[in-house]
Amino acid sequence: MSDAVALRPSRSLPLGAVLILIPLALAIAGLAIRYAAYSTVAQDASLAKFAEGMCQWDCAWYIKLSETGYDPFPIPTMINAGNWAFFPLYPILVAVVRTLTGLETIVAATGLSIVFCIASARVAWPLLGKGLRAYTLFSAYLLAGPFSIWFTTFYTEVLFLFLTICVFVALQKRQFLLAGLFAALLSATRIVGVFIVFAILIEIWRAHRGAGGTWRDFVPAVLRRPDLLLALFVAPLGLFGYMAYLHFHIGDALAFSHVQRAWSRPTGNPAVFVWNALTSFPKEGWVPTPSQQLAVATLAGYALAIALLVRRQYAMGVYALICLTLPLFAGMASMLRFTAALAPIPLMLTRLLATYRWLFAVSLIVLLAAGYLATIGWLTGYLSLV
Amino acid sequence: MSSPLRLGAYLLVGILALFELGVVWLMLHPDVPPEYRAYFIDKTTTCLNQPVAGTYSLGTTIPFTPEGRDLAKPIRVCGWEGPVGDGNHAVGTSARLRFVYPEPARALTLKLRMVAVQRDDHPTQRVQVVVNGETVDTLTVARDPPQDFSVDLPHSLVTAASGRIDLELRFPDAVQMGPTDPDNRRRSIKLLSAALIPA
Repeated sequence: MSDAVALRPSRSLPLGAVLILIPLALAIAGLAIRYAAYSTVAQDASLAKFAEGMCQWDCAWYIKLSETGYDPFPIPTMINAGNWAFFPLYPILVAVVRTLTGLETIVAATGLSIVFCIASARVAWPLLGKGLRAYTLFSAYLLAGPFSIWFTTFYTEVLFLFLTICVFVALQKRQFLLAGLFAALLSATRIVGVFIVFAILIEIWRAHRGAGGTWRDFVPAVLRRPDLLLALFVAPLGLFGYMAYLHFHIGDALAFSHVQRAWSRPTGNPAVFVWNALTSFPKEGWVPTPSQQLAVATLAGYALAIALLVRRQYAMGVYALICLTLPLFAGMASMLRFTAALAPIPLMLTRLLATYRWLFAVSLIVLLAAGYLATIGWLTGYLSLV
Repeated sequence: MSSPLRLGAYLLVGILALFELGVVWLMLHPDVPPEYRAYFIDKTTTCLNQPVAGTYSLGTTIPFTPEGRDLAKPIRVCGWEGPVGDGNHAVGTSARLRFVYPEPARALTLKLRMVAVQRDDHPTQRVQVVVNGETVDTLTVARDPPQDFSVDLPHSLVTAASGRIDLELRFPDAVQMGPTDPDNRRRSIKLLSAALIPA
């Protein structure tokens, strides 16, 4: 009996409906969990203030960006850090929803993020081996788990994850041009999104090998297929479009990168950063320091990326390794968020946790409980969640 | 894929490639103000000039404390962090203040109250005082307690200033506090107060 059949709640309920009901139910559960945590921390725990209260750290930057656009230079507020580091696609989408609905920015963003979470789960179904246990865990991970603090507020993580999944689903179906189009949107969402072009290239190579092709005739074969060329050239279009905009807006196409100087990010060897973080022991007690937690999250990400390679999911594995390694050149900051929102990582994790029924049950409970605790940590400024 | 469609697809690839090459060209040829280039691209300064008004009245002592925030804000150009406790930390290898005053002045004395960063391997910090681009003095600031410094500004410099003094403090001994800290996180002194006193 297949997993999908074994866990189907009712024989009369079509699978399509089940696949919508599971994330919907978890969306409601997630809202209840986060609100319960919020009400224990916030002074004004009204529902009206909930969305606003959940908007912490970079969320405020995204709100301002969505409302007023990109900073000129000099920056009117006379600070060094312009908002050019934040990529445009998600703030634009939120602005569109806000304009159409008349809602407050954070409310529009919260609603849109939850819709993207549900859509991400639904689209990921074929990547989860069409197993309901993995599907349920993945939905819980997005909508009610500890990282729902990012996925359901105003961070680009949810769109980044959704578009990454869309690319890999298109690649699984060998729809390379469609994958390229999703990749173009992805590269307008976060800088590392542009590197998904390597995943597309790997899948083109695998299709070529599958059709009996060799290394020698790979390039000529690709050149003979304008749809493949188009997929590869359209993939970075979001990034190039944003760079062109930045040049004509403030004169520097690389402003998104140069502005990192204003945040005083260090640059160095990723391995050294991870080691320093891992050995940053607490001065008292046994609770790991935020640095150690970030290092563990990063190493777990690497382990899951390697597991993808072992399972011959080379495109996902290579993409995950690139996306994990590049931010590490600027230190450990936000590595938990970057790892958690890197779609291949939770896809692999939830598939592993769904292997046994007891493990699935324990994981689901842990995810929901961690959702509550992480929300409290988020609202009280716990550093590893930034 | 039909021939016209193939041709159209190749054409689109060509247009995309040209656009992307064009953006690479733009990337290699930034068109930015000198201060942007110096801070963000060339990284030759840690102090990004901000267009503050410099509003100031001669003889006023500006406290760099939380209470003096409103007074300090119009003269803080760059390179300061805070207020923290009783002052502003200088961050980076230089920091600037701007004094724009309406009163006529022929002779001015710059008064600074500073303290050096607490580091055993750096008992003192040198501070080069540069006024309107001209180095006028080099001070040596020790650790706790805070010290008062007076620097008489040259008459010729004050006369030529026409009511505007751009003060740059350079910190040749600024310390890297953490092993991976970049240059714009270096620490040197904390500024507690500043004033321009007419003679």
